[in-house]
Order: sequence, then C-alpha cells, then structure tokens
Amino acid sequence: MMNYISIPERREGPGNPMPKAPSPSDEGGGPKRPETGSPDKDNLLKRMRKVDPKQAERYRQRTGE
Amino acid sequence: MLNRIFGLETEYGLLVNQDRPDHSPTWFAHKIRDHLFHVQRRGVLDLHHRGHDEPPGNGGFLTNAGRMYLDMGHLEWASPECESLTDVLAADRAGDQLLQDAIQDLDLADTVSLIKNNVDHETDATFGSHENYLVSRRFPFTRRGLGPLVTFLVTRQIFTGAGRVGTAGPQDGWVQRDRLIVPRGATYRHAPQPVLPFQISQRADYIVNDFFEWVQQNRAIVNTRDEPLADPNQYRRIHLLLGDSNMAEVATALKLGTTGLVLQLIEEGHAPLDLEIHEPVEAMQELSQDQERQWIVRLESGRTVSAIDIQEAFLASAQAHYRGQDDETDWVLDQWEAVLRDLRGDYTMLVGRVDWASKLWLLETFREAEQMNWEDPVLKSLDLEYHNLHQGKGLYFGLMEEGKVPRLTTDKAIALLMDHPPRNTRAFGRGELVRHLLACGSHDESADLKPEERFSPSYVINWSIFQLSGHAPFPMPDPFKTYAQEVRAHLQTT
Repeated sequence: MMNYISIPERREGPGNPMPKAPSPSDEGGGPKRPETGSPDKDNLLKRMRKVDPKQAERYRQRTGE
Repeated sequence: MLNRIFGLETEYGLLVNQDRPDHSPTWFAHKIRDHLFHVQRRGVLDLHHRGHDEPPGNGGFLTNAGRMYLDMGHLEWASPECESLTDVLAADRAGDQLLQDAIQDLDLADTVSLIKNNVDHETDATFGSHENYLVSRRFPFTRRGLGPLVTFLVTRQIFTGAGRVGTAGPQDGWVQRDRLIVPRGATYRHAPQPVLPFQISQRADYIVNDFFEWVQQNRAIVNTRDEPLADPNQYRRIHLLLGDSNMAEVATALKLGTTGLVLQLIEEGHAPLDLEIHEPVEAMQELSQDQERQWIVRLESGRTVSAIDIQEAFLASAQAHYRGQDDETDWVLDQWEAVLRDLRGDYTMLVGRVDWASKLWLLETFREAEQMNWEDPVLKSLDLEYHNLHQGKGLYFGLMEEGKVPRLTTDKAIALLMDHPPRNTRAFGRGELVRHLLACGSHDESADLKPEERFSPSYVINWSIFQLSGHAPFPMPDPFKTYAQEVRAHLQTT
C-alpha cells in the first residue's frame, strides 16, 4: 500500500480573470445541434475544386514529436 | 473548470505552394518566426540554450505569455497556462492567428499554407498536438492508477479524432518488458497495414506504446516524463501526445474538458472500474480504422463493449459526481452526452462539431460530385486543405462560412489573447516580464543584431522561473498564482 506524504491541496486561482468571451454555457455562445440538412454543397464544392490536386505530394514535412 | 490548469502545444505543417520551391518549409518557418519577433515585436527570443536543439534565438515567450519556437523544423506554439476552457480555446486559436497574420504580413499567403494537421501522407511523417493538465502530486501515477485514463484516451478518439485519408506504414518503437527496453518488433508481430480509404484519427497509427517517456519515434498513450514545470512537491503535469490537432472548437473544448473531468474522477477515486482494454495500443488503431464504425473493443475481463459504451460509463460517473460543479463542467457534460448520442446515429449530425465527421462528409460530397473513388490522390490534398488556416481557402472555414460550425470563442477574444495573457494564472506575471523586456529592448529591426545585443538587461525565461542579469532568480512555482505584483516590484529594482 502506498503511503502519501501530506501536502496542501491545490489552491483556487485568484480572481480578476481576463475579460471573458461568451462562456460555452452562455445563451448564444454554445454549440447547438446542427440544423437539419447538410451544408450548402455548391459553395463548398467550389472551394474544394480550387484545391491543387497535387499539393499532398508536395507537403514534405519532417517528423516532429 | 475547477482547480485545473490547461495548456496546448501545436506543431504546424507548412505547405510550399510551388512545384520547384526555392526554399524548404523549415526556411519559411525561420522567416515567419523572425517576423514575429523582430518586426512585429510580439515577444523576446531566448538568449540561452534551452536544449540541444534549442539554441539561443530559436524561439521565445510572447507578450501573451505563450511560447513560439521551432521544434524539429516545425513552427510550434505552446499556449500560456489557462484555468478555463474558454481561455485555452482562445489561446489555441490565437497561436493559429499569430502565425497566419505573419504569413499575410510577409505577403507569403499564396506561397505557403499553414496546415494545422498531424500527418504527411507521402512520407508518413507525423507531428504533434500535445495536451497538458496540471494535477496534484497525489495523482495515482502508476500503471494501475492510470488504467482508467488509458481506457478513456483510447476510446475518446471517436469524438476527438480529426480523421485522415489512408493509413501510415508500420511504426518502429520500443517497449519496456520487465526491466528491459526492447524493440517492439521483438514482442509484437507487425501485421501488414491494410490500405484503408479513411480513418477517424490522425495519430492512432503512430502510437506504439501504452506508457513511455520519450516523445519521438516511440509515442505512448500516456507520456510518463516527469516534468511538472511547477513545484514538484505539489504538482504533476499530465502530458499527452496521442491527440489530433482539432479545427472544430467543440472538439477542442470537449477533448480538454472531458479529459480534465476524467483526471478528476481518477484523482477522487470515482473512475469506472473493470473497463481495462486488452492490448490498448492495438485497440486504438483498430478503433480508428474501423470502417463500419462499430468501435468494439475487447476488455481484459474478456467482455467486448463499444467505445461509445465505455465513454458513456465515464460520462455517467462524471454526471453523478460533478454536475453543478461550475458552468464549464455542466457544458462539457451536456455536450459529451449529446455527441455520444449522435455518434450512435448518422455521422452527418456531427458535421461542424467533430472533425473526422466534417472531413468525411466533405470528402464524400466531393467523391459523389466528381464520381471519384477513394484511391484518387486528390482526396489526400483535400484532407490537407481541411486544416489550412487561410480562412479564404481552408475547408473547415468553408463549413464555418456556411454557418455549420458552432463557435465557442469569438474573434475579439482571440485577438485579445494574441497580445495579452490570461489574468488569473502565472501567465499574467510572465506577460508583464515580456512587456518590460520589450520596452527595454532595441527597436532596431535589423536581423543582423544578435539576440543578446537587442536587450539589456539580458535574461533567462523558463515556464516556472526567470532571471535578469545581475539579479536573483525569480521562481514562479505555482501556476495558479499570477505573480503580477511581485514581478512588477522585481522589475522596478532592475
């Protein structure tokens, strides 16, 4: 069985938070179920057709972490 | 959320939009970094060696107290310490915007694209999105204690995954067997990777271990490096590198929020038991690659359950113990429940909230319109374009333009975070320091000046301590404390 050393609890952060964006729970700020029906396909297809079809071949990245 | 510090680190990809480019992505990364620090004066570059691959001038802290630097040739943004999901979300987007703005400023927007993804389809290179959660030092950081966290992390990809076309090749790795560290291939036989059209996670193919402390080539579900960047007697930092970079704000907030709640369940002994997954590394890949999206896993007990069932067990426990804890907790519980419910139905219900669902819907729409099969290489290019941070080009932003992406932060909050740190964590004090140093520094924009010639006094800044030349070190071991008054007083003596 592990013995824990008694240490203080983490403390609450101090007040004076930065000016807040609408909280996720605020009216209007949080996500809603998407409207029924799919997004307008025409505009999105137009955007997708502008993509260079060979760009993935040029995307040569180094491995990171 | 109550009593938690969050942080996100993002490594970005750079796509050079030229067939025969004059420069490499790394060359552009240097140019963008230099613009941020020398021209836009967003922060102060390090004057000291932070590590073997981080020489002076490699990167530095910004006025918002986050850190911009180069890591393995990638631009990387580490958010400041945030005490709420609202702040960490805005800080994450602030990093994106700082880099995209620098590209626009440099008139490079048509030359390079900033891609917030985690894979290179052609070379199998991967790069990360790392999450940081501050927990008590009493957190049961043992294989047994972390069991529920592994179960949760393996299955959360059903709503946190960013999706990708295809699969990565077999990955090398090292695993610990008893007291020995041996090549993974010595104990596991690599099955040839099937060629799949699409999977829900970018990183699942690259996670080769359950627990390990290394971060490159041997990525684990739980990284065990003990580097709290705070008082080690009080705190531990849970550092996760298995997650995907998310574009959707709901996915980002749910990833951090649900994981934060599960850490709390574990800390307080409320995590559901008897859900340990048999061979979690393999299960992670199998879930990601399941084309039927049944997401069935085998438990150590021999039972088989779905990933949704497992997530619902964690959700039920969190509902029972933490409903009403604070507004953000309630938001996470509500959205977690809604997403799990929708995952049982038509995936298109999740477009805008879950990245893999948005991407899959876009790709299927394109395939149908162009009568294209999954082998067509253009789909990999569209996969990349989903993550393009240019708002006029990126496919995620196309969905947003159509009003199908719920926002959780605002452009105003993001703009604020680009310059200013959160005012309720240690970041506030560090931001004061960076502003002071910038005011003392040279305004000469010449790139010929060495970093140490730009500033007097010279300095060393780390996450939990800083020192100005000729003065005693200034420790900041408590991330919950702002240190603002103390830092100002200290600077007045310099």
